[in-house]
Amino acid sequence: MEEVKIVNLGLPNLALAYGLVLLTIGLARLRRIGQEGEIMWSSVRMVVQLFAVGYLLHLVFDVRSPLAVIAILLAMAGFALQIMGARISHRMPHFYRVMGIAILIGCGGVTFLFCGLVVGYSPWYEPRYLIPLAGMIVGNAMNGASLAAERLGAEIHERRDEIETALCLGATSRQAADTAVRHAFRAALMPTTNTMAAMGIVSLPGMMTGQILSGIEPIVAVRYQIAIMCAITGAVAITAFLVLFQGYRSYFTKAHQLTEEEYTGQ
Amino acid sequence: MAGDTQHVSIQLENVAVVRRGGDGRKVPILSDISFSAKSGEITAIVGPSGGGKSSLIRLINRLSDPTGGTIYLDGEDISGLDPLRLRRRVAMAPQKPIMFEGTVLDNLLLPFRYRQEPLPASDGPEVAHALELARLDPELLDRDSRTLSLGQQQRASLARALITRPRVLLLDEPTSALDRPTADHLAATLHDICRSQQLTVILVTHDLRLTEKIADHLVYLEAGRIREAGRAVDLLSNPQSPELRRFLAEPDAKEF
Repeated sequence: MEEVKIVNLGLPNLALAYGLVLLTIGLARLRRIGQEGEIMWSSVRMVVQLFAVGYLLHLVFDVRSPLAVIAILLAMAGFALQIMGARISHRMPHFYRVMGIAILIGCGGVTFLFCGLVVGYSPWYEPRYLIPLAGMIVGNAMNGASLAAERLGAEIHERRDEIETALCLGATSRQAADTAVRHAFRAALMPTTNTMAAMGIVSLPGMMTGQILSGIEPIVAVRYQIAIMCAITGAVAITAFLVLFQGYRSYFTKAHQLTEEEYTGQ
Repeated sequence: MAGDTQHVSIQLENVAVVRRGGDGRKVPILSDISFSAKSGEITAIVGPSGGGKSSLIRLINRLSDPTGGTIYLDGEDISGLDPLRLRRRVAMAPQKPIMFEGTVLDNLLLPFRYRQEPLPASDGPEVAHALELARLDPELLDRDSRTLSLGQQQRASLARALITRPRVLLLDEPTSALDRPTADHLAATLHDICRSQQLTVILVTHDLRLTEKIADHLVYLEAGRIREAGRAVDLLSNPQSPELRRFLAEPDAKEF
């Protein structure tokens, strides 16, 4: 295959692109939507965060130490947890423990399975593969886990009369929570299912676009995209499942009772 | 053996519930609750809303646990019983008659399904017994349970609670959503079930008409404490405590 050289973006080119953000700010000011400050701040954050991560990756790619790679993966999971904790409105009891275990097992398991068995490069910690792939997997699993946790909390809250009726009729907490768990699982899987169905028609996925831009044969890029979508789907499903499986218990006591916060609706 | 048929089946001793308030302070919900309920009798827990009636009745099938005191079922401390087994002996029909997806028959069989027991036949004695007790029309068995009228749902809920032949039946405001003829009809049904099955019935209500009609015992609860308790006829005709007098004197107390 002929070597394709990607055009390197220099600072003047970047400045030109940033002009589009300034144009947006100008438009916002013109229409007085009062968001200029926020747009400005967000764009600065984006630039700083991306450059920081770029240099960090540069460093890690150079060092090629498995410890550094693992540290980055754990930091990723940590940030994902913190982001989920900050945005969710129904935070279940033992939230961080439940979510942490789910992300570690769900994402960790799928990432290593995928990188080791499917892509099969060596060494196993090759940061050029492991870090971006893990990033995509964790990012998607984080959304799935948030949706699962949020929906589970809302469902249990809304269905508390139904759940207590089932308990009165002899149901275990697991049986009583079954409908709520089912709905939450469905909600968690929906975005990934939709993305798979729309892929290639509605959206050209980012990873594939990136690979094509950097000169990879489209068919190879497509194969990677299919593989990573499968990995994402699996990671989302396993993570959400673990969140729900541990999570519903935190709304019940061992004596098959809803916890006080739930039955009093506080 | 007349004494045996009227034995105490549920007994509460110094039961208390304290809940953590929003600011971390302890809020007493129920204090020093002691009374007993006999089989074959209806005990009505009466009082203004917010007085702790619903919090009290849910302790008896361990939907929640008291923070102090002891509850006995046939002399056994229920805090040592497996809640799933306890709820088989102590059935409860919650305030809102909730029907689950499926037909009325599906709903009646739920208690067996949850417990993973063999399902009784739809034309067998268990189903017939439950239908008869709750006076639910057998024609309704194949109907989608969510298309029933509220009165029918209340009866289906009662049949579902009774199908496993419990010893104690707890009812939370069984008539609050019903119109007067339907409520009176249900009251008569409850009275008959209680007598014919030697069932211990404990019901929570603010409906004095219902209490007057069917209650043998009355426990008057206000602000988390028992203000007066005794035979219903005596208390209703000759209340001693100022709280119950005030409650009975309210102009709309006899309505509902």
